[in-house]
Amino acid sequence: MQADDFLRDVTAMRGLSGDEGEVSAFVADAFRPYCDEVTIDAMNNVIARKKGTGPKVMFCAHLDEIGLMVVSIEEDGSLRLGQVGGVDPRILPGQRVFVHGREKLMGVIGAKAPHLLSEEERKRNYTREDLYVDLGLPGDRVRELVRVGDQVQLDHRYTELQNGRVAVKTCDDRACVAIMLQAARLLQGLRHEADLYFVASAQEEVGSRGAMTSAFALKPDFAVALDVCHASTPGAPAWRTHKLDSLVASMGPYIHPALREKLTETAQENNISLQTAVVPRYTSTDADQIGESRSGVPTALLELPLKYMHTTVEMLDLNVLKEGGRLLAHFAAAVRASWEDELWT
Amino acid sequence: MDLRTLTEAFGPSGQENEVRKLILDAAAKLCGDVSVDRSGNVICRKKGGDPGKPSVTFAAHMDEIGFIVTGHTDDGLLRFQPVGGVDPRVAVSKWVLVGPERVKGVIGAMAIHLQTKADRERVLDYDALYIDIGAREQKEAEKLCPLGSYAVFDTPYTEFGDGFVAARALDDRVGCLSLLRILESDYAGELCCAFVTQEEVGLRGSTGAAFHLQSDIVIVLEGTAANDLGDTPERFQVCVPGRGVAISFMDLASIADTQLFSALQDVAMEHNIPYQIKRAVTGGNDAGSFQRSGKGARTCVLSVPCRYIHSGNNVAKLSDIKAQADLAVAFLNSL
Repeated sequence: MQADDFLRDVTAMRGLSGDEGEVSAFVADAFRPYCDEVTIDAMNNVIARKKGTGPKVMFCAHLDEIGLMVVSIEEDGSLRLGQVGGVDPRILPGQRVFVHGREKLMGVIGAKAPHLLSEEERKRNYTREDLYVDLGLPGDRVRELVRVGDQVQLDHRYTELQNGRVAVKTCDDRACVAIMLQAARLLQGLRHEADLYFVASAQEEVGSRGAMTSAFALKPDFAVALDVCHASTPGAPAWRTHKLDSLVASMGPYIHPALREKLTETAQENNISLQTAVVPRYTSTDADQIGESRSGVPTALLELPLKYMHTTVEMLDLNVLKEGGRLLAHFAAAVRASWEDELWT
Repeated sequence: MDLRTLTEAFGPSGQENEVRKLILDAAAKLCGDVSVDRSGNVICRKKGGDPGKPSVTFAAHMDEIGFIVTGHTDDGLLRFQPVGGVDPRVAVSKWVLVGPERVKGVIGAMAIHLQTKADRERVLDYDALYIDIGAREQKEAEKLCPLGSYAVFDTPYTEFGDGFVAARALDDRVGCLSLLRILESDYAGELCCAFVTQEEVGLRGSTGAAFHLQSDIVIVLEGTAANDLGDTPERFQVCVPGRGVAISFMDLASIADTQLFSALQDVAMEHNIPYQIKRAVTGGNDAGSFQRSGKGARTCVLSVPCRYIHSGNNVAKLSDIKAQADLAVAFLNSL
């Protein structure tokens, strides 16, 4: 499957943290043609293995998404909202959502009426407490179809912009799942010693819980986590943002320096452009949990720059996504058993 | 003509061409005297033969709220301002179409991870919002979306729930749809249907139309704010989708003619057309200009209740749109 087709389809799949069943099944099916074994574990992690005789390498990108949850149902049928992962309430007013009740229901997010706002309230952003979902249904019908705890997914509209740039929700981090899928596809035509595991992990947005259990189960020798990072936008701090048009290899205490070096060497050998990010402490990605699994796993972090992270219009450059697939495939093919001796020298 | 086609047409105030073209084509099939006046309004006249009957104009506006490009940044983003009243809080993280060529764009905002506490509370106003079309640099953005390009929310027409619709520009394409139905009617007196421009930026089209039309009675067909959900106390609900067409006694631009206000209710009751009274004195519309132009006219407003008006997703109930047209036609027949 082509990367853009996969991205369009996978970003529409239901999969809030803790409820990844639908997206996991879809991702597992996508990996099957390119892998020897594909399983879905108890946490909804998808684990796709491409067998090899060399070191065991884990690649990991998360497939869960941020979203909302029904926390109460008003008399008039409007739904009050909690969040799953970090949802910026500023993106919500006037947004369409899908409520996964007994049926999939479209709704529109409304806000406290303007004429009921105090002067003070007019000057600040709406909070989640000011907002509700309108299903266009009478209260009684809503109570038949919706229960407290039902998940609410943000609108998914795959939007093709200029220069191969695309905006859609949940590029964080399904775009990196797409990178892994590209790599698995390209590896059909490459030799690899390594025993490769592509893990599409669950529950990253609530603290890398899927990466924790999958790393424990797999006992990898090395790992590369893949996640999105921030591309430059007006007003954003420069040191935390990067250009949209090339991949990023992070460095810092949570990243294994020798493994990172292998990644940058592979990029150079294959003419793949790579930016450097400096992360002084934890990376807030699956790399952190994988790195601390069992007695420790040397882990690198490959990142895809994204504008407007955690909105419905997360924007990336498709070419960078494809370059990511190429880099990961060549990196996988380059892994040798001898790397073990080079890690701590 | 269907509501999907009307709401998906591109028509922010000042660039109503696409809507006007649709309406000219549809109206030509229903009326022999269709013209465009000096303010860009589409005027459809049916003469009638009976000078004893009052002359009646029904009016709805073709334009919608939107945005206009005011500049370009070095890295290819578009600066923009609203056209009409659009709360910047509904613009964040939405899709837009720029220009009649419909260049796709998104309105992003700095990621939540990068915000300070002050950022989270501060409303992102238009000087801090940008349309991103994916351009790499200023020249490319200028070429695709020159200064002065208009933009609208990119919202597909979607029916949902129990007979509801979510769409862009229900304010006031619902009124345009009703006008086309009225135009099918025969009336013994002089009848005019006016599809006007630039309501959202100061009732400008209707001011021009009112000056030359000079009808005895003007009924304005609108979409108005509902504000009924989310535990809003009953007395603060402006009107409620599903309870029928809303008849206004007063808004911020005009006071309804009391006889018309009363007669419209009588006609609705007589024909079992669902109606409600708009409870809050909010908003203003073309009735203001029609009432006070030239020698003046008796006016009243019939509105379809719309939730989240002036956002990318207006929500209305289809049965209320039907009630608006039903009441207008029944009223005309009662004269």
